[in-house]
Amino acid sequence: MVEIIFLAPFVTGLLAFFLPKTIGRQLLVGTGAIHLILSLLLWKNRSVPIFENYFAVTPEGLLSLLVISLLFFLISIYTMAYLKETDLKSENIFTGSMLLFLSTMTMVTLSDHIMVMWIAIEATTLASAPLIYTYRTSASLEATWKYLLICSVGIAMALLGTVLITLAMDVGNVDAPLSFSALTGVAKDLDPMWLKAGFVFILVGYGTKMGLAPMHTWLPDAHSEAPSPASALLSGVLLNCAYLGIFKTHKIMHAAGLGDFSGTILIVFGLMSILAAATFILKQKEYKRMLAYSSIENMGIIAFGTGIGGLAAYGAVICMIHHSLIKSSLFLSSGNMLLGYKDRLIENTGNMASRMPKTFVAFFAGFAGISGFPPFGIFIGELFIIVGAFKTGHYVAAGIFILSMCFIFAGFANQVMKISFADFINKDDASTDPKKIADPAGTIPFKEKASLVWPQYILLLTSLILCFFIPDTLYQAIIEAVTAIGGGIK
Amino acid sequence: MIHPVDTLLSLVLLSVLFSFGTSRLQGLIKVVAFQGIVASMVPFFIGHDMSAGGVVFTVATLLIRGIIIPLCIYLAIKKVAIRREVEPIVGYHASILFGLGLIVGATYVSRQLNLPAISEYLLVTPTAVALLVTGMFFLIARRNAIAMVLGYIMMENGIYLVGTTFSSHVRHIVEFGILLDVLAGVMIMGIILQNINKTFDDVDTALLRTLKE
Amino acid sequence: MIESVILWFLGILTAPFFSAIILKVKAFFGGKKGPPLLINYYTLIKLFKKGSVYSNSTTFVFKLGPIISLATAVTVLMFLPIAGYNPIFSFNGDVIFIMYIMGLGRFFTIAAAMDTASPFEGMGAAREAYFPIICEAAMFMILIFFYRLTGELQLASFFSGGNTLGLWNMAGAPLLFIVIAFFIILLTENSRVPVDDPATHLELTMIHEVMVLDHSGPDFGLIELGAFCKLFFYATLISRLILPFDFGVPAFGFALFVLGLFIVYLAIGVTESVIARYRMDKVPQFVLTSFALAFFAIIISLEFIK
Repeated sequence: MVEIIFLAPFVTGLLAFFLPKTIGRQLLVGTGAIHLILSLLLWKNRSVPIFENYFAVTPEGLLSLLVISLLFFLISIYTMAYLKETDLKSENIFTGSMLLFLSTMTMVTLSDHIMVMWIAIEATTLASAPLIYTYRTSASLEATWKYLLICSVGIAMALLGTVLITLAMDVGNVDAPLSFSALTGVAKDLDPMWLKAGFVFILVGYGTKMGLAPMHTWLPDAHSEAPSPASALLSGVLLNCAYLGIFKTHKIMHAAGLGDFSGTILIVFGLMSILAAATFILKQKEYKRMLAYSSIENMGIIAFGTGIGGLAAYGAVICMIHHSLIKSSLFLSSGNMLLGYKDRLIENTGNMASRMPKTFVAFFAGFAGISGFPPFGIFIGELFIIVGAFKTGHYVAAGIFILSMCFIFAGFANQVMKISFADFINKDDASTDPKKIADPAGTIPFKEKASLVWPQYILLLTSLILCFFIPDTLYQAIIEAVTAIGGGIK
Repeated sequence: MIHPVDTLLSLVLLSVLFSFGTSRLQGLIKVVAFQGIVASMVPFFIGHDMSAGGVVFTVATLLIRGIIIPLCIYLAIKKVAIRREVEPIVGYHASILFGLGLIVGATYVSRQLNLPAISEYLLVTPTAVALLVTGMFFLIARRNAIAMVLGYIMMENGIYLVGTTFSSHVRHIVEFGILLDVLAGVMIMGIILQNINKTFDDVDTALLRTLKE
Repeated sequence: MIESVILWFLGILTAPFFSAIILKVKAFFGGKKGPPLLINYYTLIKLFKKGSVYSNSTTFVFKLGPIISLATAVTVLMFLPIAGYNPIFSFNGDVIFIMYIMGLGRFFTIAAAMDTASPFEGMGAAREAYFPIICEAAMFMILIFFYRLTGELQLASFFSGGNTLGLWNMAGAPLLFIVIAFFIILLTENSRVPVDDPATHLELTMIHEVMVLDHSGPDFGLIELGAFCKLFFYATLISRLILPFDFGVPAFGFALFVLGLFIVYLAIGVTESVIARYRMDKVPQFVLTSFALAFFAIIISLEFIK
């Protein structure tokens, strides 16, 4: 029964609200492990869900599901260690929300009915809101409020778009179940005007959730205020889920012959996001906010690639997978940095190469990966996108794309160099403790335990390996997903 | 002759106008509750197929939209002792004039759209569009956080009205799922509102502007 | 024709009587017995017997003010279809003529107030000039509404004979909004609570009262009578709107009309007793409500009369 994949975490999530802390942590890891096993089984067996009208196993859904599973499992291991180091008030709300978050995101990947997808995406917003408010500061309150309001309003717009698509069905006198797969089948008979209107609203709506500019304003606040494991999930996984909604609608548009219209809009939004990220990343003072803007940039890249289609669409999906892997490892590393430096401002960090070497390796490799250096996967993805853009004649767009990449790389590199190699000025400079005077660099207040470092390594290694070697099933799934929107390796 | 549902909907439009001009939150909550009740009752009048299950769902929708959701906000307000009136970004006169223009615009647009399913009920589409835009207006033009949440609820009511009336396919379970989502969202927003009030001692969202860039 | 003239006279004569109803209602709400119903007549007679005092700083405009205000109020009554009978005068476009005649009266009252060079009255004049602007917008909205329904611009064609019932048949429920809007206009134009308190004489709360502060004796009597007639005018219109029925027997229709008038004055009295006077900056909002209601009624009715 396929639905167990999201029902099980839902149940354990509800349980975690009431169970004591230690059991909660184990529940987290246990559920993650079971989830991973179930996803791998589903990947092999491709069984059919019970509620056929509402859920279906699609290639793009499976890809996202696998990524979610792997990420959650590794993040849960990290979280268990992280929770031991910090002390969170009401930890059971945190654990319970993480599990509910997993459950709702899984539901998104498996939904086929357009309304059920809406319900699932809105549910992810609701499940993740408590996560942002974990530290109970006024800044995190503000971030939670913005997140809740902007995302709910955006998703309401998506609901309007969904309704307009049902209208397109009625005006075209089509009687089909309201599932993405069925609609793709009858797409040619749907009324084009309403379909276009519906797509625009859905793009604006789910794009808000995905972090596309100009609806991205909640993202830097939310991702920086949440605790690092939650940020990793938010950045690495949630944005993909929102993308899934847009992707499936784009599929319908393509089948209806309106692929150019939707593609152009996607290109515009993608470029806007990349430009917005490039503008703001240059003056970031906190490292987590910087990572959040990098997420906006990557989402823009993915939207851009999807919009261009062809080879670029393949590149976009590659980017999506690798971005999840690398960005979550970056956020986990930032969790270590927070534990080590006890400060989120970049100017209060420094000299990570010698102070926290293991984290430094992960962080620097992650930075290299996300900026598009080989041998990490994003390099291949961006290469395909640029080639695809040139092949289809989008020269100006490709030019803007490349320019923004350079800006972002420059901004990011600047900050990363500061964090890694600049001199660390210990805040307690004026202490008269003889030990501190003798050792001005200060000692690290915490040890880099294995489970605080290995999850990042595994994620980065996965990305590295996938760059060179893609298992055939994975490759087939990607191609299947991408051909539906007019992509593929040609 | 005027259909009874059109009379109800004209009252809803009147309540929309009223909500533009009022600054009292209790009044706003009652307006939103009234709109929720009427919006839930519209399927009865439009002549959708009403099986037993359909009736149950519609009544449940009415309870949730018309009573439980406004109750959540009301409870959130009771604990939030509002000490001073928060000046809105767009003043009341301008809001009322905007509201009038909106109703005219909505009527005009609805006539252009010319939808087959509901051509005999003249006021449904303008009301739905008006509710939607009014909700968005509240989200943008009011600084009071509670008014913003009420605007969100109004917007959801408008979308619901659009949904039930635009399409002749009625899927009750799915719409109920949507409704539960909205309910959960409102409850969480209520909790956040209380926290905002506890932390800042006020519900003016201008205080929530510290995180920039 | 003769009946119209008789009715016109009757209207002028009974206007003070109806205004006393308001005083009775307010007293009832206060648990008091209130002044006798003929109080306004006694007041008028008392005023006419007195002598006038004119300030040295006034000119002939000051003496002109009360006369013109009464004259306009009385003229306007000549166009009014009282109890559904045809008015004395009626021509196409007379509604606009009526509104501007009333505007003329207001202009001269304001001019007379400013003529005294007293700061109190200047302040009242400014307020009195401001609020009726929005009122006029609302009135014009209502006129547009009626014009859209009937295609005519005569007061008689709206309110005399069976025409009002025809209006109800054509428009239906939106007419209710028009009635409410009309009531709000009545309250504003005649300086009733919640726009202005006719009972107080404090500078912060007066609009109309302050303007006539310096008039005395017969002049004041003329102004009072003019005010009664103006209130009678508006009340008649609303009475016709709420009880538009017309029967063959003239006495019955007449009785119905008087009943309607009673209801309107009663409503004014109740409103005065129940609602407190609005703060000055909330008054434009209040009048804007009547504008919005009229506009709204137009939109709704436009939907159905295509």
